[in-house]
Amino acid sequence: MTREIFTALKTDQMFINFGPQHPSTHGVLRIALTVEGEVIIKAVPDVGFLHRGIEKLFEARNYSQALILTDRLDYVSAMPNNLAYCLAVERLAGIQPPLRAQYLRALVSELTRIASHLVFFGTFGVDMGAFTPFLYAFREREMVLDLFEMLCGGRLLYSYVRVGGVSADLPAGWTEKCREFITFFKPRLKDYDTLLSFNPIFRDRTETVGLISGARALSWGLSGPNLRASGPGYDVRKAEPYCVYDKLSFTVPTGKTGSCWDRYYCRMLEMGQSAEIVLQCLDALAKPELPPGEIMAKGVPKMLRPPAGAAYAHIEASRGDLGFYAVSDASPAPYRMHVRGPSFLNVAILQEILTGCKIADVVAVLGSFDIVLGEVDR
Amino acid sequence: MTEETIKTKFSEPIFNRSHGRLLMPETRYWPTRMWKSPWRLPTYRRGAAVMAGILSGGAAAAWLLGEAGPRVAPLYSLAERYALQQGVPLFLVATVWTLIKAAVLLAVPLVNALFAVWWERKISAHMQSRMGPMYVGWWHGALQTVADGIKLFIKEDIVPECADKFVHLLAPVVVIIPAIVAFAPIPFGRELVYADLDIGTVYVFAVSGVSVMGIIMAGWSSGNKFSLLGGLRSAAQLVSYELPRTFSVIPVIMLAGTLNLSAIAGLQAGYWGGLLPRWFIFYPVVGQVAFAVFLIASVAETNRIPFDIPEAESELVAGFNTEYSGMKFALFFLSEFAYVLLSCLLMAAFFFGGGQPPLPFLGFLPSWAWFLAKTLTLIFCFLWFRWTFPRFRVDRLMNFNWKFLLPVSLLNIAAAGVLIWLLS
Amino acid sequence: MKNYLSFVFEAFWNTLKGLWLTLKVLFLPAITVQYPTEKIVPYPRFRGMPAYDSEACIACGMCVRACPSRCIALANAVSSEGKRMPKIAWYTLDYGRCNFCGLCEESCPTKPKAVWHSLDYEAVFGTREEMVRRWKRGDDLWGTAHNSADAQFAAVTDQIHIQDVPVRK
Repeated sequence: MTREIFTALKTDQMFINFGPQHPSTHGVLRIALTVEGEVIIKAVPDVGFLHRGIEKLFEARNYSQALILTDRLDYVSAMPNNLAYCLAVERLAGIQPPLRAQYLRALVSELTRIASHLVFFGTFGVDMGAFTPFLYAFREREMVLDLFEMLCGGRLLYSYVRVGGVSADLPAGWTEKCREFITFFKPRLKDYDTLLSFNPIFRDRTETVGLISGARALSWGLSGPNLRASGPGYDVRKAEPYCVYDKLSFTVPTGKTGSCWDRYYCRMLEMGQSAEIVLQCLDALAKPELPPGEIMAKGVPKMLRPPAGAAYAHIEASRGDLGFYAVSDASPAPYRMHVRGPSFLNVAILQEILTGCKIADVVAVLGSFDIVLGEVDR
Repeated sequence: MTEETIKTKFSEPIFNRSHGRLLMPETRYWPTRMWKSPWRLPTYRRGAAVMAGILSGGAAAAWLLGEAGPRVAPLYSLAERYALQQGVPLFLVATVWTLIKAAVLLAVPLVNALFAVWWERKISAHMQSRMGPMYVGWWHGALQTVADGIKLFIKEDIVPECADKFVHLLAPVVVIIPAIVAFAPIPFGRELVYADLDIGTVYVFAVSGVSVMGIIMAGWSSGNKFSLLGGLRSAAQLVSYELPRTFSVIPVIMLAGTLNLSAIAGLQAGYWGGLLPRWFIFYPVVGQVAFAVFLIASVAETNRIPFDIPEAESELVAGFNTEYSGMKFALFFLSEFAYVLLSCLLMAAFFFGGGQPPLPFLGFLPSWAWFLAKTLTLIFCFLWFRWTFPRFRVDRLMNFNWKFLLPVSLLNIAAAGVLIWLLS
Repeated sequence: MKNYLSFVFEAFWNTLKGLWLTLKVLFLPAITVQYPTEKIVPYPRFRGMPAYDSEACIACGMCVRACPSRCIALANAVSSEGKRMPKIAWYTLDYGRCNFCGLCEESCPTKPKAVWHSLDYEAVFGTREEMVRRWKRGDDLWGTAHNSADAQFAAVTDQIHIQDVPVRK
């Protein structure tokens, strides 16, 4: 009898196009949802609406011109893109940047990590319906952008890290401003915890949603905070230190369950660690062993022609393991440049973990992965 | 760079010549400097002075105007006498009088929306270290809502191709009419009430419950899947939150022994020990729990964050009013703010003694001023919640209602019984 | 039961803490810049609208080669005996394609720079034509744009500048 009622009540499935114009897809991602009531039974992410053919465009630029294309990949955190590209090209051409430039690179990539995670914090709050954290996050992000504007003239697309070093040294008064920001920023992290992290409604929505076990995260190729939230503490900064990360002391926060809340809180903790790294870099840059002005490797030609060959370099960008694979045929332009984007690989797991969620959870899961469509679609 | 060197380096900008100023890199608004000593900023001091001035000016104006309610009845008898002299039938006077009162009542939600939207925008902006609207109107964007209203008036009314045209048209009407009609038995001050119904409490809850029909109609008729989900969600949510909301008022009714709203407000006059007002919220445990449940359920009933599931912006785009534009959308908007005002008026009447002053020596201000002040404070609480909390999830919302709020409100009724037994 | 009560209490307490935070910020000064009436002057390294000085330019073509989006073009002036001179005949820059990357400024060999990023960030154009600027010798920093209505090159008059003379390195 009960079964009869159940089958009699069986309703039609509904197909919902979640995006590309949906307000919380963080760009132009489309997820084709098949729902029954509020429960999702099938989810197919559809990427490619923002495809600009950047990998092909690399082949039509010389090495210094191609740098500005990397800014446009993950436009929320452009510094690490520059850095990964430059590391790959330097490995290809056998250039060793000076130590001061390496400290500056670590400094700016950590500041970018803070700025990028602040965007994540804000937009995740908006996805959850809390608008105030968004503006608090952007208040602090604006300070980082001010610092970058002072340093390299760009507020979003920096082109600061160059092949062989960085484009400019710290201007006068920058260090003090940066310290002022860090001292202001650390108590704000506690504010964020009060406002969002430990809000019962927020925890209720995120702690049991989008669970990913460590093995599954590894098998789907997740990286960055998304992977570390599930348990595996893989961080390129520790596993394969580039720049000066082996000289800096910091910890890599990891989560346990791989829920949305773990992914969120991993990023919160990472911001605190990044603030510490920034302070260490500032201390190191003030030392006399690293004289101001030594920011470019000697003898880097204007028109770089690396010997024929291939090189791969990867770094821990704000969203995970970002790699550049550069192939040279000894001409001024790269023969092939492949980008291993973390967001693109992170978005793939959506089709598996969205099944069985509610519609409201799509927003939570998608938001917690912190994808940037500029990099997913390239 | 000091300001002098900048000035010699840059000539005066073209656009800024008539108004405005340049912010040098050093004077950029970094919160580090602004927040360290806000009282040193002249704008901050001026703002504080203006706020104090508005408060004291408002109080002085209320004191000068005095009690409004008792002046209304003589006015009516004057009109009656004049009608008798002229030989006009009395029922005509009564009809015109009722119509005038209805027009005044109709103005309440409209004026409220104009003010409350502006207030919400300002409060939310300052909670987020922004400023909100600043240009329209002479002072801090005071006429921003008027401008928005005009924009909504002259906007094109778009009806989707696959919408059910008639229901689509009818839905905003079904939403707005109960929202206005529900104001009838609300006492805005002493003797300042449109219809002094003896079952006022039941009337308000019954009428305001009709609006959910309009929301379902809006969601269903829009021909949009997101709207449909929003409409159905709201049906579930509003119907279930009616229960704890009504149950939480039952202790008040038990203690007051009447359903008449002005009688409930009037019963809370007086002070315990000459200091603590005899408001229902100050009845030990029962009052506070009833207030908390009523507040939460009211926020849910008015579809505001953290309970704005029906129009959940980030999930359902805009829920049931996705496909509405222009004046139809404005009606939804209006009814939302009307319900916020209604809930706050009810709370002020039920739990905060209506027009009773909080301290004995503050009795020189008229009752409507106190009622208004309490209502505005409660509206501020609504805004405060909205701009602090994230949104519930649909199933959690239901869990919260059925497994927490409803049992608590039921227990509270039992506690009220115990309290009455102890008091008697 | 005890766990449940402590959970309820903790949830309630955390909620209150969140409310207290927003209330505190409510009484702190706002940090907004009221844009049209208040304008931020950027830091000296800011990369705003590229400006061009036709007198300083030696028409070497470094910027043309450096530009990643290929938005610069120039022609050398030719002397009466047919020799190319280190001066421009014309110089164009398409603001619509410009990346604001700063590579043209870095490659410019003259001192002071002939092409550089000013601090002007109010890049507003009424038409697409206005984005393509042309300079001849003697033109001002912002150049002239073609106007198809009267088929003339003329300085764009409704252009908004945060300041007239930008920083030059």
